[in-house]
Amino acid sequence: MTNHDKDLLGNPLSKDDKELLELYARLKALAVRTDLPPVVTANAKQAMVMLWNACNDLALIAEEPGCD
Amino acid sequence: MPATSTSYWNPKTETLPKAQLRALQLTKLQRLVERAWQTSPFHRRLYDQAKVTPEQIKTLDDIRRLPFMTREDWMANQADKPLFGDLITRPPQDAIRYHLTSGTSGRQPLRVLDSRKDWSWIADMWCYGFWGFGIRPSDTVFFAFSYGSFIGFWGAHYCCEKMGCLTLASGNMTTEQRVKQIVEMGATVVCATPTYALRMGQTAEKMGIDLKRDGKVRRVIVSGEPAGSIPAVKRMIEEMWGGKCGDTAGMTEIGTIMIFECDHQPGGPHIIEDHFIEEVLDPDTGEPVGYGERGERVVTSFGRGFIPLIRYRTKDLVCKVPHTRCTCGRTGDIYEGGILGRVDDMKLIRGTNVYPRAVEAVVREHHEVEEFQIVITRVDNVQDEITVKIELKPDQQECWPRLQAKLGKDLADAHEGLRFNLDLCKQGELPRFELKAKRLQDLRPQY
Repeated sequence: MTNHDKDLLGNPLSKDDKELLELYARLKALAVRTDLPPVVTANAKQAMVMLWNACNDLALIAEEPGCD
Repeated sequence: MPATSTSYWNPKTETLPKAQLRALQLTKLQRLVERAWQTSPFHRRLYDQAKVTPEQIKTLDDIRRLPFMTREDWMANQADKPLFGDLITRPPQDAIRYHLTSGTSGRQPLRVLDSRKDWSWIADMWCYGFWGFGIRPSDTVFFAFSYGSFIGFWGAHYCCEKMGCLTLASGNMTTEQRVKQIVEMGATVVCATPTYALRMGQTAEKMGIDLKRDGKVRRVIVSGEPAGSIPAVKRMIEEMWGGKCGDTAGMTEIGTIMIFECDHQPGGPHIIEDHFIEEVLDPDTGEPVGYGERGERVVTSFGRGFIPLIRYRTKDLVCKVPHTRCTCGRTGDIYEGGILGRVDDMKLIRGTNVYPRAVEAVVREHHEVEEFQIVITRVDNVQDEITVKIELKPDQQECWPRLQAKLGKDLADAHEGLRFNLDLCKQGELPRFELKAKRLQDLRPQY
């Protein structure tokens, strides 16, 4: 999700938008890993869905993040 | 700009020009329909029967190509394929929350599941409403809520934690204990059904507590009953609590609220249009009605991944007016007067349509009334009678002859001259409610 340069409305992404998307993508990648201890996976998932909210509310994404 | 100085939870999309809002809704709708088609057998069947595919959704008007989804279909689906039917898009093991509808309609409750992301989104929708009504991280928020399987204020509780409020749960408390804690903790915000907000106020009076003097409540947020937008009910709540009363409305089927009153209170709640499409349709023909006309709410929700809700017929009666009615700057349209009632709760009494909410609006104009109940009977198998049972406040007993005449006239005037019987009840005779009140008893034979 970090390779696009516009939001869902066609506006160019701001620096903050890009940072939010980058964080979301990194947390999403962490959340689906199966080799990490539960403490990491569970908290990465929690953090990821919070970032999903920010990105979704700002019309940067419209997707299901795909983990529980 | 400090984050707390904005009056919007999400300034970017809450104030989007209408054309951009519609474009955003279309993008979200297209992705939602595609996802439902791919992952929900229930939706795939509906669309196959209607001969519609996701590629046909090219404009927002194309939403009308999509079939309606009804509660009856959903219930039948859960009965056919227990426990959750094949509407859900993922295995139940992926869920973190399980809730039920309230059961006030007397039917089998619906079972719903939410993922971690869904649950977070549910709280986020409440944040739109709480922030919009002026709640801030410095507030102490008290929830008069039982925290059971009914979804109720669960999402609102998590919203307040997310916003950084001091959040007080009161699941196991009596009404007296709740009143005491609200005062003791200096709660600045109280959340309850309108009925229960009134009951707590009445209980405080009986305990010798003056909530306006002894408490610090500056906002009362109500939900769960149409009464939350009845001006007389709001006035009563505000007079009891000394804080401004704001209405919200949601439903278990979407998991959260879809409308909320902003701080400007323009006479109804705003629709959260970047997360929902709210159509208002003629309940008989299914055709759209215009601004200012009453119709049935049909909701499409973009947020809940586990349960795609697309063109869901809610049976809620509403009247949509343009967002310009309000000066707050939000571009989400407004439901004037909130949820006006249910399409299916209209009662026909000797040829006149009677809605419980309309009766409540008249009764609540009379401050002497503490509690009431509507009873409909059939006499000699022929004539329908409607009776409003009234319980007066303890210090208002002498007013009954005058009130009986006035209330009878007001109810008749509001219902094409229909005669209402009025019965005076003893103190404590009528039932009290914590969640959704059930004040209507239709005792006529059901055929």
